[in-house]
Amino acid sequence: MVMIPPYVPEAFLTMYLPAIYAGLIVGFIGTMAIAMKREEIHILILTDLVGLAMIFIVSAVGTDLAEALILPGLVVELAETLAISEILITREMRKIEQDPRRNLSKSSSLFPQPFSLDMEIMTTAPNFIALVLIGYGIFLTGFTGGAVAGGGIVLYALSKKARGLPVLILDGIAGVSGIAWCLWIIGFLLFFVAPQYWLLSLFLAACGLLLKVASKVGLIGLLMREDIDKE
Amino acid sequence: MIDISIIFYFGIFLAIVGSIATAWGPGVNDPIVRTFNTEVASIGVCLVLLCYNHVLALLTLLATTVIITLILFRAIIRLEEMGADV
Repeated sequence: MVMIPPYVPEAFLTMYLPAIYAGLIVGFIGTMAIAMKREEIHILILTDLVGLAMIFIVSAVGTDLAEALILPGLVVELAETLAISEILITREMRKIEQDPRRNLSKSSSLFPQPFSLDMEIMTTAPNFIALVLIGYGIFLTGFTGGAVAGGGIVLYALSKKARGLPVLILDGIAGVSGIAWCLWIIGFLLFFVAPQYWLLSLFLAACGLLLKVASKVGLIGLLMREDIDKE
Repeated sequence: MIDISIIFYFGIFLAIVGSIATAWGPGVNDPIVRTFNTEVASIGVCLVLLCYNHVLALLTLLATTVIITLILFRAIIRLEEMGADV
């Protein structure tokens, strides 16, 4: 006996089984390939495939619930990839430190050539565009707003660094993240304790998510800045 | 008028073919080729999400795919410059 909500469209019901089977096949291929590979970076890339299988299976639900579950899944996958790639790089650096015969090139970077853009738009526009992006992101709130505001922060960090000026320090990211979690949890609790304040709790959760995503994207900007920091 | 199920099954086909290509395709011992092959499967998932009307999920998938590709390229390039076996 399968309970189907009445508002699921008829077309989605026929798409349910193929999507589930496709997700299972993709997940099986991904996990088999992970089992057969030894190098860590290949395993990290293949983890993407398992994430795609997760999206398949969740999206087969076909309602708003699926959408609400896919968003955090994607964001967690992104954070996980970021963390594991940093761990891999750090471990390789430790190996080189223990074995100094292998010489390490002084600077390694995302951009093969020196990245010193000398365009006028990089010196005049970023303040205004970053301000507009952050303002619009705060207006949007939620996940989308966080992405837009984070884009503004990244743009500001990148363009200021290309000019060679000191840029704002994003050291307090951990604190901002904690505040965001608190807002989110308070909103969630209020939603159950006092349902008549649903608008307030919705906005608490949305602002928490905004801070969270914006600080995550800003963190990526910080990492990129470290790469660009060369003559 | 194109039937929606054509797009749906094409998305599934692309996802499965892309994942096979990522796992055992030609030239995947180069991690950059492997990363590019992941994009094929990702496009397949995008088509499936399009059929389900999951607009926000589709946009988020596109955004995170771009960022993940950037992160992976950074990791690959750094590891190669340090002389690790990739």
